[in-house]
Amino acid sequence: MNFKKVLGLGLVAVLALSTAACGGGNADKTANNKPATGNEQQTQGAEQPGEKKVLTYWTDDRHDQEYIKELIENFNSTNQDHISVELTVLSENYNQSVDIAFASNKAPDILRLKSANTEMFMKKGYLAPLDSYLTDEMKSKFDGLLMDGVNRFDGKVYSLPNSGLTLRLVYNQDLFEKAGISGPPASLQDMVDAAKKITDYGKKEGIYGFALNFKNPKSAFERSVREILSLSGYQGLGFDLKTGQFDFGPYSQVIEYFKQMHEDGSILPGAETLDIDPLRAQFAAGKIGMYLSFSTEPGVYKDQFPTTINWAGALAPTLEGKQVGTSEIVSAGTWIGINDKSANKDAAWKFMEYMYADDVLTAYHEKGFGISIVPSIAEKAKNPDTPGMEGFLVGEHDSLWPVTPNITPEGANYGDAFFKYMLDGGDLQAVVSDLNARYNDALSKAVEKGDVKVSPDPSFDPSQLKAK
Amino acid sequence: MKNEAVPTVRQPVHGLRDKLRPGRFAGRVIIWAFLLAVVVFTLFPLLMTFTGSMMTNAELMSGGNLIPSKWQFANYAEAWQQSNFARYTWNSLFMSVTSTVGTLLVAAMAAYVVDRRSFPGKALFVGLQASMMFISMGAIVLRPQFDLMVLLGLNSSLWGVILILISGHASTFFILSGFYKSIPRELDEAAMMDGSGFIRTFFRIIIPLLAPGLGVSGLFAFRHAWNEYILPLVFTLTDPHLQTLTVGLANLRYGSSAAMQTNLMMAGACLSMLPMLLVYLLANKSFMQVTAGSIKG
Amino acid sequence: MSQWKRLQENSLLLLPSVILTLALGVYPLVWVLRYMFYDYPGYGQEVFVGLDNFARLFRDQAFWASVKNTFIFAGGKLVLTVPLSLLLAVILNGKLRGRNLLRAVFFMPTVISTAVISVVFYLIFNSYNGMVNQLLMKYHIIGQPFEWLGPKHAMLTVILVATWGAIGNYMLLFLAGLQSIPKDLYESASIDGAGPVSRFRYITLPMLGPVMQVIIMLAIIAALKGYESIMVMTEGGPIGKTEVMYLYLYKLLFPMATSGTPVEQQFGYGSAVGFVTALIVGGITLIYHYMSKKMNKVY
Repeated sequence: MNFKKVLGLGLVAVLALSTAACGGGNADKTANNKPATGNEQQTQGAEQPGEKKVLTYWTDDRHDQEYIKELIENFNSTNQDHISVELTVLSENYNQSVDIAFASNKAPDILRLKSANTEMFMKKGYLAPLDSYLTDEMKSKFDGLLMDGVNRFDGKVYSLPNSGLTLRLVYNQDLFEKAGISGPPASLQDMVDAAKKITDYGKKEGIYGFALNFKNPKSAFERSVREILSLSGYQGLGFDLKTGQFDFGPYSQVIEYFKQMHEDGSILPGAETLDIDPLRAQFAAGKIGMYLSFSTEPGVYKDQFPTTINWAGALAPTLEGKQVGTSEIVSAGTWIGINDKSANKDAAWKFMEYMYADDVLTAYHEKGFGISIVPSIAEKAKNPDTPGMEGFLVGEHDSLWPVTPNITPEGANYGDAFFKYMLDGGDLQAVVSDLNARYNDALSKAVEKGDVKVSPDPSFDPSQLKAK
Repeated sequence: MKNEAVPTVRQPVHGLRDKLRPGRFAGRVIIWAFLLAVVVFTLFPLLMTFTGSMMTNAELMSGGNLIPSKWQFANYAEAWQQSNFARYTWNSLFMSVTSTVGTLLVAAMAAYVVDRRSFPGKALFVGLQASMMFISMGAIVLRPQFDLMVLLGLNSSLWGVILILISGHASTFFILSGFYKSIPRELDEAAMMDGSGFIRTFFRIIIPLLAPGLGVSGLFAFRHAWNEYILPLVFTLTDPHLQTLTVGLANLRYGSSAAMQTNLMMAGACLSMLPMLLVYLLANKSFMQVTAGSIKG
Repeated sequence: MSQWKRLQENSLLLLPSVILTLALGVYPLVWVLRYMFYDYPGYGQEVFVGLDNFARLFRDQAFWASVKNTFIFAGGKLVLTVPLSLLLAVILNGKLRGRNLLRAVFFMPTVISTAVISVVFYLIFNSYNGMVNQLLMKYHIIGQPFEWLGPKHAMLTVILVATWGAIGNYMLLFLAGLQSIPKDLYESASIDGAGPVSRFRYITLPMLGPVMQVIIMLAIIAALKGYESIMVMTEGGPIGKTEVMYLYLYKLLFPMATSGTPVEQQFGYGSAVGFVTALIVGGITLIYHYMSKKMNKVY
């Protein structure tokens, strides 16, 4: 073809495209004049001019989106205040999306909040305090679940809890039986031994005792070491609640056992660059004896990686084999929050009230989207029927934990530092004191700056957490 | 060296005798063995992408299989529906075509003035363009660029991305500068004698002569825009309906489960290669006519 | 023609380039030059910290390790990519049946999504049941699975993947350069009895010199800047063995999300890292530029 022709075609295409885009741009602009708008507005807005309030709701939860959509449809058609909620499901980069939306004044009225982003959003001034909205009834329903640094900051409540994730050891019962192991390990030494036995039994067929998604060591440790420590009576992210300082001493004890499994050759080869999905696929294929992860696993094996093996979740092993503390329930304490800059905060609260009603929370738990941590709900609700979920339900050994201060240390994070020790060896004591120094340095700087408040609790007793 | 914009017609000179020479034959075998090895090296991962796109997620993620045990053609339908593929393709095309044409136009105009005229600050301008090519601060500059687009109100529109892509026209500028040297000045001087103005001459006389250069740099600019991931990601975070193929594909991984739908992402990737290959085939012809000066700055 | 008219014309043609370059090229540089003296998490108050960010940079072992890794990665990629793509270009520039098809085939890797193909490469190279190990073991070339993505060899593997993605690109650039060599040079050399090797040595290489100088410069810059495929395949691991400069910088600005406490964006420190990184890349480019002047002289 003649190049001139191609170029000509290209130019025509561009002209066509840019006129189309201009049209689109104008449509956007007109829509923007009305606050918080959406696509359905044109059709429905005509019936209720001036009164209709359209709210936007952003979430990065994908697993429950069908149910949430159902709930929203129901709310939109039944509420008396002409409120219409629109859901946007985002994925990766949710936090950055929210930042950008606020930077460009396109922020949603209602936001899904997680324990890992609530504090940051609050500090950036995104969130509205809910105290003036809370009724006495709600206060009593969530009594004991409002925690400083989780959903309450400087005495103001920004979100309310619904469900959380428990962390468990996930193990292949068939392999345990074949290798002659009676049950899930109680201590880390038991775990090391079990991993070795399973590997000895199955290595010829490519079966290994243990695996974790070490491609991102921090992510791997946050789903394993975290509950091993909290169940052993130590905070799971290296923070010492009694002194209000970081102390990676207990953490390093767990790492020693992990290192032992690595030296024994009990860990799936190539685990250094393993992502969680290939790990799950191998587990489903019966090639992995055990790993540790969140209560999202039953759902994954139901939908994405169907399996014929017998598997179950069990409480994580502990340092000494004794459950001194409780297994931390994570991503709990927050669910929904309201944009402080929203023009429709009252309407947003109406939606929030609807979402936090007993029947919604109960169904959320029963459908297996998350494990309810609200006592009045958890008592009455039936257990979800997702296979394998039994092992993940909240029991006497589960509880929330006080929060770890959020700081950014210089240099390598503890995940990378400990994983390097696991593979390369070295002086563990030196690794620990280096981490302690860097983390505490960053902590004192953050306290000085006023970003973080630390209140040491010398009387903190992990065994007391069980009572709640 | 002669700078010729016209392709030379090749004569079939090799005769039968040539083909049968033993040395030549051995050489051919070696060349073909080498080519075959590179073809296998090149195609194997692509083949795996294709077969992987036809597997269930569990089969794909457990690895070890090249051929799907059962071909899942439904993956393609699902990828198409779940990701709003038509919309993404349209966005990608719009962004790539507009930024390519913009880049070519901006760079060709600037290079024309720089090559044909002297003006105060010329050295400074060329130096500035050269430094733009070599200074690379990575992802950090996204923030000021984004802030600027917020000021202009283009922060959640593909126009923001397009402007940033066009602003990276330094390499196109230098490629085209090389091509201008091969267009005889007598041509535009003659045109100007006939009363055609400087700018009119540029569009009427120069641009058509510049076609091969525009073809090369256009292909590269187009591919750069087509493959760009982080810019459209940042600018479309709040408007999913503006997402391009690269961004939409990456999001395909996130289904309604905690596990990623890698198989669907692969199906999407296979589909998204087709438009770019089409552009290549279109550009190939003119591209291969490229003569001297093409890439020497 | 009046001076005024000339000025008008020049401005009209130059202005778009000048405005865009200043706004989206120079302004971000100035922004970085300012923020490298600040502590700024992306919101709230920015705090002036003087040279603290640079002090931190000099004791930041992870960064300097990433600089070293960048050199290994870029060096490896160049050593493989440049000769291979040149060789392919020379072959496909000749009279060869099916050369258009072959060119298209070699071009294909440059248009597929990096995120997707990196997942495929994981499946190819993973040591547990990757395709490559399966094949090598089936034909008894290796007895034990080879740890392609382990700490020792991960760098080699990401270099191979980067080479895979780059060959087609540089082949096209070399082809464009080869087209500019007058055909009669080869014909007269053939008549004089020169074989393919000596034709390459005495005609192609010298004639290609100036073009090659630019292509290699582009290749160096691209190799120093590349990080996307590494990000998807290894995230810089295991234990930082494949961490390169621009990936390190990217992670400071887009921290990978995990379930624990969030990690703040570090625009101040990121600016300092970006600045020093740019200095390193710029320095290498300049050194190359001076050293390669010889190539230009032949022409």
